[in-house]
Amino acid sequence: MRLLPALHWPSIRGRARADAGPLLLVVLVVAAVSLLAAAVPPLLRGTADDAAREAVREHPDESAVRVDARWEDDYGPSGGRVRNDRLARDVEDLGGQAEATLDAGLRDALQPPVTTVTSISLVLTDGSVQRHFQLDYLRSGADGPAVTWLAGRAPGATREGNPEIPLNGSPWEVQVGLSETAAAALKMRPGDHIPLEDEQRNKYNVKVSGVFRPVDPRDPAWRLVPSALRPVAGLDGAGTTRLGGLLSASSLPDARLAFLQDQLRRTVWFSAEPDRLTWESAQRLAATVATLKAESGTSAERDTSLKWQTQLDGVLREVQAQVDAAYGQASVLLIAVLAGAVLVLLLAADLLMRRRSPALIAARQRGASLPGIAGELLIESLVVAVPAAALGIAVAFAVAGDAALPWVVPVASCGILAGPAFGTVAAARGTRDRRTPANRAARLFAQRTAQLRRAALDAAVVLAAVGAIVSLRQRGVGDSALPAAAPALAVIAATLLLVRLMPVVTGVALRQSLRSRRPLAVFGAAQAAATASRVLPLLVLTTTTALASFAVTLSATTGSGLADGAWRTVGADARLDVAPDETGSTAALAAKIAAAPGVTHVVAGDISGGVRVVTNDTSLTPNLVIVDAAAFHRLLASTPLPDAPGLDQLGKGGRDGIPVLVRGSLHPGLSLRLYLEDDQDSGASGGYSTAENAIKLTAVGAAPAIDGMDDVVVIDAAALPGTPDTIWATGPGAARAIDAVAASGHPVVRDAVLAARRSAPLTAGLRALDLAAAGTLLALGMLGFALGAAAGAPARWRTLARLRTLGLRTRDTRRVAAGELLPPVLVAAVSGPLLGVLLVRLTLGPLSLRLITAQSADPPAVVPWWLLGVASIVLLLTLVAVVVAEAAVRRRRGLGDVLRAGGD
Amino acid sequence: MTAPLLTVRGVHRTFGSGAAAVHALRDISFEVEPGTMVALVGRSGSGKTTLLNVIGGLDRPDSGEVTVDGVEVTGLDEDGLSRLRRERVSYVFQNFGLIPVLSAAENVGVPLRLARAEPKEREHRVELLLELVGLADHARQRPGELSGGQQQRVAIARALAASPRLLIADEPTGQLDAETGLSVMALIRGIVESEGVTALVSTHDPVMMALADRVVRIADGQLLP
Ligand SMILES: Nc1ncnc2c1ncn2[C@@H]1O[C@H](COP(=O)(O)OP(=O)(O)OP(=O)(O)O)[C@@H](O)[C@H]1O
Ligand SMILES: [Mg+2]
Repeated sequence: MRLLPALHWPSIRGRARADAGPLLLVVLVVAAVSLLAAAVPPLLRGTADDAAREAVREHPDESAVRVDARWEDDYGPSGGRVRNDRLARDVEDLGGQAEATLDAGLRDALQPPVTTVTSISLVLTDGSVQRHFQLDYLRSGADGPAVTWLAGRAPGATREGNPEIPLNGSPWEVQVGLSETAAAALKMRPGDHIPLEDEQRNKYNVKVSGVFRPVDPRDPAWRLVPSALRPVAGLDGAGTTRLGGLLSASSLPDARLAFLQDQLRRTVWFSAEPDRLTWESAQRLAATVATLKAESGTSAERDTSLKWQTQLDGVLREVQAQVDAAYGQASVLLIAVLAGAVLVLLLAADLLMRRRSPALIAARQRGASLPGIAGELLIESLVVAVPAAALGIAVAFAVAGDAALPWVVPVASCGILAGPAFGTVAAARGTRDRRTPANRAARLFAQRTAQLRRAALDAAVVLAAVGAIVSLRQRGVGDSALPAAAPALAVIAATLLLVRLMPVVTGVALRQSLRSRRPLAVFGAAQAAATASRVLPLLVLTTTTALASFAVTLSATTGSGLADGAWRTVGADARLDVAPDETGSTAALAAKIAAAPGVTHVVAGDISGGVRVVTNDTSLTPNLVIVDAAAFHRLLASTPLPDAPGLDQLGKGGRDGIPVLVRGSLHPGLSLRLYLEDDQDSGASGGYSTAENAIKLTAVGAAPAIDGMDDVVVIDAAALPGTPDTIWATGPGAARAIDAVAASGHPVVRDAVLAARRSAPLTAGLRALDLAAAGTLLALGMLGFALGAAAGAPARWRTLARLRTLGLRTRDTRRVAAGELLPPVLVAAVSGPLLGVLLVRLTLGPLSLRLITAQSADPPAVVPWWLLGVASIVLLLTLVAVVVAEAAVRRRRGLGDVLRAGGD
Repeated sequence: MTAPLLTVRGVHRTFGSGAAAVHALRDISFEVEPGTMVALVGRSGSGKTTLLNVIGGLDRPDSGEVTVDGVEVTGLDEDGLSRLRRERVSYVFQNFGLIPVLSAAENVGVPLRLARAEPKEREHRVELLLELVGLADHARQRPGELSGGQQQRVAIARALAASPRLLIADEPTGQLDAETGLSVMALIRGIVESEGVTALVSTHDPVMMALADRVVRIADGQLLP
């Protein structure tokens, strides 16, 4: 018995030669869509890597991994403490020990460990106020970052060797080096002792051995203990300055003896290496640290095991949300393109089947078996589709460095299987002995069955679409394919319903045209009605147009959302966050900005966080914004930001307290009591003013969104004086004016914010994908239309030839042909954009577009009508081109030939 | 003696060239009197369809001349041919060629629409013609709902709608069984008599030939005496 059916090679070759055109189209579609589908996932992964790197680069401290370990006890046999000469080496070993815990992949994404030993912050008792001092040891590899000694020498040992020191002796001397700046600030020279005590007023004996200058102040190691290089403000509470003294490997053992167990802390730092970090390794690092942290127990435990910590997960969380949103949107778009491609390939298979079915039926009648025919067709489609898919994948590999093979499967398998399946079915149908039953009842029954089968198929697609949309709206895109397929499924379902309507609509149009006196209208309508029940051409055209509209609407919405997000972030064309020590000159700065050319509005305000607001039952700490309400209102009105009409009511004094605007968990109508932070008396501990001097407020309206803050209370500057620390400016010259005073604070320019966000890897990548998907879908739609037209062309032109024998003029045949092809184009041109826009409305939220546009709420869908109009015009032009081409091809054949060849 | 309605003089038609050339028509000349029914008879491949196409202006001869009702068909341009088909010559094909989504009556009305006849006049004539071909009761049915013979009758009614002078029928009974074919042929015979049209009908059925006024035989592209 033969296992394989007999194949007839000459007919395989002959068929392929005769249908080279459609087969070439299959090659093009499979290759182009394979390229897109294979390249996008790795490219997106690349942008996710970039986004993770950028986040880590922007937050170096939070993304570092730190490992703390308590010291081993150093009590000697006689109850004293034993000096450990090798302490610096032990500290270095700790780094190696921590590194060994990480797997090789993670170690690769991290810089070599830096070990620090830092003392508690001591108080300088040289008569100055609020100055603190800390002892620091730094070691990366064999030694700390290189320094040059300008005066004196490196800190040496107070006593060599490992002697045991009694506990109750005088403070043990430690030698430290001072940086140039610290030495100047302290006015100290080598040999001087620094007057220091802790909060319990214990004295410390710290001697200056020398003054140094760092060889490379940008060495990342210095960032871990910035106070070792220069005075740092604010570390020990508001208004404080901390200076540092650098320990050496020789003086570290002495520092150990000078401090108690808990006063000196050793830490290993791993900074992420942004260039070698990937999205995947960053996440794995955060997860590994979380596991290690959980395993190492609480830091209160009195053991010397490693305690792991990082805020990397927090840094990645925002990126994670963005990456998830981007992946979701990308998979939705890719599935849309795949759906369009699969439909076009089905249409191509349908065309091939129509052209070949007489030959296939003849072959079957000559004795070819169905498996044999299927095998021949499969060989052809393998030869066509496999190299095409391979080419797409290869180019994707070249472009993206990787290829996502699973995404290629749908289009490749459809390219391979659709042709043989359609052809075999045609051969089987054509030679089946079952004719249409003569019996009227039996015919009706067969018709009913076919209708029922189609209705069941429609219902299944509609149900799947509804299920997909529901799951998308409830759970977002996530990892599963169903929600990501929701837009494609919804469009296909809606189009299937439209296809059902088509015969009714064309029937009405035909009846209408029969009443008219224009013969061409009748013929066009009749032709259209005759072909109205063809499902695939309309399905392809409408689906691709709708999904292309979906993609461009998504892109336009993202674009305007980004612009809006930038407005909301900055609040004006430009903003200056005045430096804390410059707030005294805010008014002068504002005046200077207002005087600059091209500045239309300038408002200075005081944004402060340290306030408490109490309503009847709750107490919260909103941001308090004190601003000249009228001026602020004028400024807002000159921007596209939402109007805040409530600002006009702030100027008027209220009976029940000062009128304010609120936002967030506070709402208009509430009576509030405001407590300002009382920082004069209680310092950093943060007390609030007492009940007697609470300020009574009434919330009279909704506050505008300011700088993305959640809970906000806006109050007029006339009612409560503040210290302005923020300047908003609008007008074409605002950015330049604010940049001119950049030295006095931190300028935030809207154009720059917008440009940065637009070019952010994920955003730029997604918008490129939007446009690529839209372009591909539109091209697929045009191709699908041409294929559908080609499949119907023989029948169409045969009928037209008959009409010509009845006296239809040659030039009028084109108009009748256009009339036949017009309905699907019209339906697609009208319903496509509408469906696309509707889909964007339905899916904006679940696609988390706001995460990509940096807006606080889902943006409203922005519909680029002109672009959709252009797409519709392109479709109509395709129609004209197809008709002109068909007419030109047929003009060469005589009428007699057409009719002779016909014989349907 | 009346002038002939159809004159064919020295018509040649060759397909292809060189060794593969097929001489489908070789020096064909004949005349047909108005109001007669002529059967064109010949074996398959003898050139019947080619000759009918040349006469009706669906194909052009390599040389020779065809005149229908005083109009020289071989000298007409595309527009002239369209007018010829609207006004003087009509066709009936073996495979009927009706428009499937239109009813029988609407199919018959198509030539009248092309001639921009008044709707009233059109409806009246359609009614008359359907009665003539015996399908008055089937006016609203679509081609798919009619038998083959009925479809061919509709096609004949349609061919007569614009009152042509010459009716060309290429094997109008080819797809019909013998009995139905004969009745269709008899219908054409009757129409020639009642409407005064001239009919040129190709067939290879000897029974059908008996209905014709005259038989023209063709073999290998040449008329037999
Ligand atoms: N377009 C063409 N190209 C080449 N040869 C053709 C063409 N049309 C017809 N022929 C040839 O011209 C000859 C006459 O063909 P025609 O169709 O006129 O015969 P016929 O008498 O109508 O045959 P049948 O009874 O089978 O319809 C045949 O040999 C045919 O093969
Ligand atoms: Mg013939």
